[in-house]
Amino acid sequence: MGLAEATLTDGRKLSYVIKDNPPRGGMKHTYFAPDKSYVVQFFNNPEIARDPNIHKRLEAIIGKYNPTLSEAAGGARGNSEAMARYFSNSFCWPTAIVREPEFGIVCPAYPANFFFRQDASEVLELWGKDKRSNWFTSRNRRFLQPKELGDFRSMLQMSIVLARAIRRMHQAGLAHSDLSCNNVLIDPQTGSCVVIDIDSLVVPGLFPPEVVGTRGYIAPEVMESMSLPFGDPERKLPCAYTDLHALAVLLYEYLLLRHPLLGPKIFSADSPEEDDYLALGPKALFIEDPKDQSNRPDDLGVTIGDLGPALEELFLRAFVDGLHHPNARPTAMEWEKALVKTWDLLHPCENPDCAAKWFVLHDTAHPVCPFCGHPVRKDRIVRLHLKSQLRGSAGRWAGAGEVNVYHNMPLFRWHLVANTFPDEKADRTMLAYACRYGDQWLLVNHGVRGMKSPGGSLVPEGQALLLKDGAVFLASGEEKGLLIEVSCGK
Amino acid sequence: MADFFRRLPVYLLLDCSGSMMGEPIEAVRQGVKALLSELRGDPQALETAYLSVITFDSQARQIMPLTELMQFQEPEIKASGATALGGALSVLIDCIDQEVRKSTETQKGDWRPLVFILTDGSPSDMEEFNKAVARLKDVKVANIIACAAGSKADTTYLRQITENVLMMNTLSAGDMAQFFAWVSGSIKMSSKSVDAKPGGPIELPPPPQGFVVVP
Repeated sequence: MGLAEATLTDGRKLSYVIKDNPPRGGMKHTYFAPDKSYVVQFFNNPEIARDPNIHKRLEAIIGKYNPTLSEAAGGARGNSEAMARYFSNSFCWPTAIVREPEFGIVCPAYPANFFFRQDASEVLELWGKDKRSNWFTSRNRRFLQPKELGDFRSMLQMSIVLARAIRRMHQAGLAHSDLSCNNVLIDPQTGSCVVIDIDSLVVPGLFPPEVVGTRGYIAPEVMESMSLPFGDPERKLPCAYTDLHALAVLLYEYLLLRHPLLGPKIFSADSPEEDDYLALGPKALFIEDPKDQSNRPDDLGVTIGDLGPALEELFLRAFVDGLHHPNARPTAMEWEKALVKTWDLLHPCENPDCAAKWFVLHDTAHPVCPFCGHPVRKDRIVRLHLKSQLRGSAGRWAGAGEVNVYHNMPLFRWHLVANTFPDEKADRTMLAYACRYGDQWLLVNHGVRGMKSPGGSLVPEGQALLLKDGAVFLASGEEKGLLIEVSCGK
Repeated sequence: MADFFRRLPVYLLLDCSGSMMGEPIEAVRQGVKALLSELRGDPQALETAYLSVITFDSQARQIMPLTELMQFQEPEIKASGATALGGALSVLIDCIDQEVRKSTETQKGDWRPLVFILTDGSPSDMEEFNKAVARLKDVKVANIIACAAGSKADTTYLRQITENVLMMNTLSAGDMAQFFAWVSGSIKMSSKSVDAKPGGPIELPPPPQGFVVVP
């Protein structure tokens, strides 16, 4: 072990710790900074390092396409300090190019919560290993301590963070090209995730990287044409559409803890390679396909139908309509919206032994936790129907969302004012909260101006209104304040 | 749990002849230990890889049947006797035949097995060796990587078994550790790699420094 020095293209020098057999991925190997605050990565294949296309691509990625750097600091156009800070948490974005001793890149180290701590498992030594998603979404789960696994709500939260990160990339015209369980680290405990290995991005106008992807996440059309040489017009290369396949696979895995395409169906008895190729490529079939059930496992348990209508629709589009038709796949923006919508329908499971702890209460007529089968008490069901005023027609209101209420549930600006969305620009200050008081449900004003009770009187900050079945009230006095109608379980 | 998950069978064929006595055999023991710990730390390998150990001295035997990583017990490895590499290959062929699930109309078959052979000499059972090599040619069921360790190892025999032959110059603990680290790298890579086209050649990480790929 010893220290080495890397010279960056801007002349700065950084030191890193030399180690035998450094951690090696498919493309690069990694050395750590003495204080582990950043990593220096070199390419396994020196030819790649000499390719001028790679240099151009990396310059663009680090500079004008960088969402983790404000525009003022040389990052992406339109990026504010706050947005850059937000996305710094969801990407491990390269920060500099190394010139000497050889071509390479510098990346920030992952935050500490993406490394297993000593007590993560009783049977495995995972201390210091990075939290790749398939520790949590595969059968490997059984080797982890329960507290590592998070719950359904934290998995949903993570899903939102991932969809938003990919939406941001695609919005800039970038494609990740190798989204997979290995390139998204997740921490279910805190509901956070970080996208890594950003260096093989597809950048508009520049040569695409020659990546293939990772088994299980490669889009079927890419699998199918994989044997053709690079440069063949029939060869499908990773792009935003293939990202959308990988994104849907990851989201499905996070929420349902299984792979959407790997089921019991035998596609070929000739060889495992042939069978696998067909199952993930030309013959790929969703395990929950509503028409063709030949790949459906017997013990499916919770299904996409239990995730609420918004997500069910998108999963059907991703894995039925869009599985072999890339342009039918839902966009990352659609995923982000549907996931946020679903977040508002979360309900805590009252069964203390329920591992999921939360579920999507979309069907109030049959309120049961799909994970453990525990029924919901009727007096625990309170739903807010958000309505926004139709433009130009005073007094006419249209549905703008639905929110399930539970004890101590926070409400934000996007629950109270029309045309606000909880994205990277959103104000995340709690403005109101719902709580159960005795056998009544209250909505407490925590910072909204002009909230009115159903009777029309002002509800000042610090005071509450009663959430009763059928009650209708104005959530905010702002110009685009929403109207809220309450319905309770019967 | 559902039975439609494919396993990646991995066979280690380890030379335990008398010439391995002392430091080399101890290095092999440590190597197996390190390999196991590495693979248990990789989620894809942990899910798919199953490990078996076949040792050979004057005789060959499977000392650990194909076992999932979490159940795998480190085998007792001792050095003595000659180099029954031919016998080891025969045992391997029989084990693959019995242990590796075949693809059928009703069953998801296992992945093509990965076989790593480590030897420091040349086969002492030539007749058996020739027979086994001929049988291997017919079967073609596995991806075999052979490593000749130290100056006495003869690669010409290994070349008859497989095209993937590596040579490490010494039997030192350091070289042996590197070899096992490379084996675990290869297994990890196989457990997550895509077979671009069925039957294509397997991809392996570049061999460690000081190791020569025998052309």
